[in-house]
Amino acid sequence: MATKMPARERRTPIQDSSDGVSRRRFIEAAGAIGAAAALSPFIMPRRASAAAKTLKILQWNHFVPGYDKWFDGTYVKEWGAKNDTEVIVDHVGIPALATRAAAEVSAQQGHDLFMFLSPPPAYEEQVIDHREIYDECIRKHGKPVDLAVRSTFNPKTKKYFAFSDSYVPDPVNYRKDLWDDVGMTPSTWDDIRVGGRKIKEKHNIPVGVGLSAELDTAMAVRALLFSFGGSEQDEQGNIVLNSKNTLEAVKFARALYQEAMTPQVMAWDASSNNRAMLAGQVSLALNAISITREGENKNIPGTDNIWLAKAAAGPVRRIGLEHVMDCYVIWKFAANIEGAKKFLIDYIDNFHTGFMASEFYNFPCFAATVPDLQQQIAKDSKARPADKYKVLGDVLDWATNVGYPGYANAAIDEIFNTWVINTMFAKAASGADTPENAIKEAEAQCKRIVQKWRAKGLV
Amino acid sequence: MRAPAARHGPTLLDDERWLGRLLLAPAILYIVLLVGFPFAIGLYYSVSDATVGTRTLHFVGLDNFRLALENATFWQSLRNAVVFTLVSQAFVVVLGKILAMALYRDFRGKWLVRFLILLPWVAPISLGSIGWLWIFDPVYSIINWMARGLGLLAPNAWPIWLGQPDLAMASVIMVNVWRLLPLATVIILGGLCSIPQDIHDAAAMDGAGFWRHLFLINIPLVMPIMLVALLFGIVFTFTDMIVIYVLTRGGPYDTTQVIASLAFFTGIQGGDLAGGAAIALFLFPVLVAVAILFLTLARRAEVT
Repeated sequence: MATKMPARERRTPIQDSSDGVSRRRFIEAAGAIGAAAALSPFIMPRRASAAAKTLKILQWNHFVPGYDKWFDGTYVKEWGAKNDTEVIVDHVGIPALATRAAAEVSAQQGHDLFMFLSPPPAYEEQVIDHREIYDECIRKHGKPVDLAVRSTFNPKTKKYFAFSDSYVPDPVNYRKDLWDDVGMTPSTWDDIRVGGRKIKEKHNIPVGVGLSAELDTAMAVRALLFSFGGSEQDEQGNIVLNSKNTLEAVKFARALYQEAMTPQVMAWDASSNNRAMLAGQVSLALNAISITREGENKNIPGTDNIWLAKAAAGPVRRIGLEHVMDCYVIWKFAANIEGAKKFLIDYIDNFHTGFMASEFYNFPCFAATVPDLQQQIAKDSKARPADKYKVLGDVLDWATNVGYPGYANAAIDEIFNTWVINTMFAKAASGADTPENAIKEAEAQCKRIVQKWRAKGLV
Repeated sequence: MRAPAARHGPTLLDDERWLGRLLLAPAILYIVLLVGFPFAIGLYYSVSDATVGTRTLHFVGLDNFRLALENATFWQSLRNAVVFTLVSQAFVVVLGKILAMALYRDFRGKWLVRFLILLPWVAPISLGSIGWLWIFDPVYSIINWMARGLGLLAPNAWPIWLGQPDLAMASVIMVNVWRLLPLATVIILGGLCSIPQDIHDAAAMDGAGFWRHLFLINIPLVMPIMLVALLFGIVFTFTDMIVIYVLTRGGPYDTTQVIASLAFFTGIQGGDLAGGAAIALFLFPVLVAVAILFLTLARRAEVT
């Protein structure tokens, strides 16, 4: 049986040692080092900045690396020198944008300019009214495209909760060789189903329209929904998802999936369709021009066979989404609000260079800033054929905003970012649920979300 | 010759009682600041109308909990979380025990094996998960290409690991087991090492074989510490969203959505902080009950 020592006796006596480091001295020293480390940012002299002001910008890692090179390496440096401002640009990946924005608002500090890739109406209370920037740009360059207004304006509060400099078209990317082989062109959704099935049967290469929880799918399924006459909301913001048109769209998606696709589209992330298309694994995808640009810039074999088409027409209309909507916001708590406003206005003045640096990825929200857009996209030095991008010339005739036919608002934003519509289409397409049930469940979720945001006064 | 050190009078640091409190203080401060404070904020948010964009909050009672309970996705996420946790932990405990027994013996290169086994635990979860994302990629899956190369796949067979509900759940479970196995192994190995050698010697003298040794000596004596390993595993798995977020984002069509990921998508991506907090808080009573149950069982299983 073990004998327990009294607690007092088990303690090791503390002794001062003259030839070693005592515990007390060790703790004192460690404490002093810790305190010094913690206080050093406050007591150490900071390197003086040469510029009088600072402007901090956060934005994504652009899909076209050349754009970031121009923006960070050339444009902001020149602008900073002209405006006696040190401009700091931080880049994050797409998934980090939402968390960074929430963190900055929570801390009430961060960047002066924050760029979202889709409308951010949930942050309306935290941002300045961007009307003044729009007004100045309108004075200089004329009206912005309707897409920009519908993505950044809240008709209920009459506030511009963001400023959109550009949008990204979302055309159909297709393998011309395969589609020629079956004697078809993907002009309508039914063409995609029929031609896609023929190609799959003949070449074992499926269609690649995403049905996953990610951005590209969110755009693709909305394009399908809108072209069949369905939508999440009407112009007044009432949820109207459960309609005959939506049912037709969902039934069509099920037929398309079962006839011409494989389960790989259920597993995709935002860049999967790029990889699949460039690897020659799918015959068609809905994406920005990042697929062809990546193929051209990296000399990937087969890129010349990837052609672009307008958004596919459904039974009701030909319509697609913007692929990305650049939305800059200036936080109310930003340290340099005036500098941020000036930066945006000047950026629009120089947008032609930005359009060229993005290799036609970013289209102007102020069309007058790129007066030669049609000529530029009709003759591109990298594309084979050179007029590959000409099809984007009338993009505004077939591209619309998230929230169509109404405005983007906080409820639509939550529906978009929690993948309610993606899940509805995926469930029905895979046969996990009937189209009717999938729609009913999605509509219940939409109504719950709208009810919440309506109570908050933002919808 | 060194001068004799100056003598100091007794200070608080010389008092064992105060020294103990001082040394415990950082841990307590850490828990209060990084666990207690966010938890209190979570409670506050869950009964408010907090969004990512609002600073003024209003009390809304239990509305957020009601909305969560009315949401079919919530119930599906709860079921998924239970399956994800239980199946993962069953594998972790069995494999952890086997690995611990293997590492208990001496063999050449044991340190290297231990290092390799510990690697998934010390590597950042997100980094490891991204590696797995490529392993499961629908086009480039190394598993599929190897299986095809070895003639294990039929000509038209090509499993889509993250695109088919059962395979997707199996994939996220596999990654979670890979991640948590080192921790369980180390904990169980610690338990095995604490069994006095004379017990093993006595069993050997009595002629106990491998299975009798395993079931009558090893497992009963290691049981309390295995239960602690299991408790850690359950808590880590039930509250984790990184593996799901990186690999499937809850898909295909919510079949791998768990409570933690749903809370994130609702609260941060969807902007409804209050709704996200309410969903996340459903984890709390479940985990408290599990912790009480396992700690009670562990205490009862102690061999004195």
